[in-house]
Amino acid sequence: MGSDCVIETHELGKNYGRFEAVHALNLRVSRQQITGFLGRNGAGKSTTIKMLLGMTHPTAGTGRVLGRSITDSVENREMRREVAYVGEDKQLYAYMTVEQLIRFTRSFYPDWQNDVAQHLRKQYQLPQNRKVRALSKGMRTKLALLLALARKPALLILDEPTEGLDPVSIEELLHALVAAASEGMTVFFSSHQISEVERIADRVCIIDHGRLVADLSLDQMRQDYRRITLGFATQPPANEFKIHGVQQVKIVGRQVIVLARENSDVVVECAHSLGAVSVDVAPIGLRDVFLETVKEET
Amino acid sequence: MLCYKAWRESQTRFVLSALTIAGLCVLFVLFQNEARTGFDGGPPTYVGYIWRIVYKGYVRELYVLLVLLLGVGGLVRERAYGTAGFTLALPVSRWRLVAARAVIGLSQAAILSLLPALVIPVLSPFVQESYPWTQAIQFSLLWTVGGTLVFAMAFLASVIFGGEYSAPVVAFVVLLVYSAIADMPMLDRFDIHDMMSGTGTPYFRLDASLITGPLPWMAIAVILLVSCCMFVLAGRITQAQDF
Repeated sequence: MGSDCVIETHELGKNYGRFEAVHALNLRVSRQQITGFLGRNGAGKSTTIKMLLGMTHPTAGTGRVLGRSITDSVENREMRREVAYVGEDKQLYAYMTVEQLIRFTRSFYPDWQNDVAQHLRKQYQLPQNRKVRALSKGMRTKLALLLALARKPALLILDEPTEGLDPVSIEELLHALVAAASEGMTVFFSSHQISEVERIADRVCIIDHGRLVADLSLDQMRQDYRRITLGFATQPPANEFKIHGVQQVKIVGRQVIVLARENSDVVVECAHSLGAVSVDVAPIGLRDVFLETVKEET
Repeated sequence: MLCYKAWRESQTRFVLSALTIAGLCVLFVLFQNEARTGFDGGPPTYVGYIWRIVYKGYVRELYVLLVLLLGVGGLVRERAYGTAGFTLALPVSRWRLVAARAVIGLSQAAILSLLPALVIPVLSPFVQESYPWTQAIQFSLLWTVGGTLVFAMAFLASVIFGGEYSAPVVAFVVLLVYSAIADMPMLDRFDIHDMMSGTGTPYFRLDASLITGPLPWMAIAVILLVSCCMFVLAGRITQAQDF
């Protein structure tokens, strides 16, 4: 495994009976970046994360997190010392108070940083003697984040972290993730909220029907991905645009809409040579890339 | 800290169980004069009364049910509450999670079995009676052995069945089936109900309501071994489960 990868899977798969939740997943997550794991509901995001953490056993393939095998129970346990996880439902032990849960969690991590925990508890305004069951979902998320960040993990994995949160809590959470990454932590988070991923992620992996369908840097996407709308006087030639880097070609009447992940210049040249009467090149956002990629797979 | 977690999860059930058993023992001792008159064939001796109502009767049956409820819980239940992810992300093995819960549960079952031995001999002088400590302690030991098997049944059922009621119901059904099978002549020495009360066993004298012979160490060893196998099986199932 390359030292710049904190997560690397090879042909990872998980079947539940005949249902293929994850299929031949080759995932790579780079160190000290924020990577968004984007996919529709039921695309296989949570199953992948659970396999990475040893909660679910893969039915095929292998994987390594921080250089340790995810299928070896001893290595996986050692890996979990350096990985923090915030689950989708953010449920914590309802019968403990905030302080008791902090003390409980602290006992498993020798590198626990009390000052960080105290600072975050004050910042998040978590009442230390309140039972977890009496906390709102937003407060529970903050507590889960505190428990994750106070141990200074090398890798922070979050499954749908903003799910069910109000806009203020979402904002605070996204700020916390950016701050964590700026301190050298690798953040890997799943979401189906494209705008959130686009705002904070350096890189995006898109999963659909259990398959990895895209893995791209957002800077690269902003720089290279283009939607090229071409107008023709007569019926346009679709096959002429099957150029390297073209992800999709769609014909609407006398218009050809080309989605290119690179080589947009070549597409424009080709359009001119074919007698296009209008050429419009526009940058595209993650939403378009995601929708086109997922639609294509469907 | 895993033991602390296991304790906190079962704390309410355990405290309520302890209060119930201790409370009933207190009531049965303090109101022994009234209660003893209600038996067929005339009032029994105080020792006979305690045996019939506590060690053979209601309190023992209640103990079995309460221990069965103490065995319910674990990771499958946590999945329903949504906390399994948090627990499994801790850097500990699933074996340790299972072991911590088993140790705490068995300790609680043992403490519950000791309560009659603490309450009855201490309170008896207040009603001008006495109950031998040695008898009480021996019954506690036998209850602990029986409780271990009942706890192991509920523990194993909880690893397999995640529903709030399904695990205790399944464990209860298994207990009934076991009780029916253990009533068969060749297996009756492994019947925990008889073992716990001494009924029909060579070490118990019915006319005196006292344990007089050596305890059935072989049967105790077999029951503890079977319980141990059930805990190991529960651990192996947990190890292979997806959450």
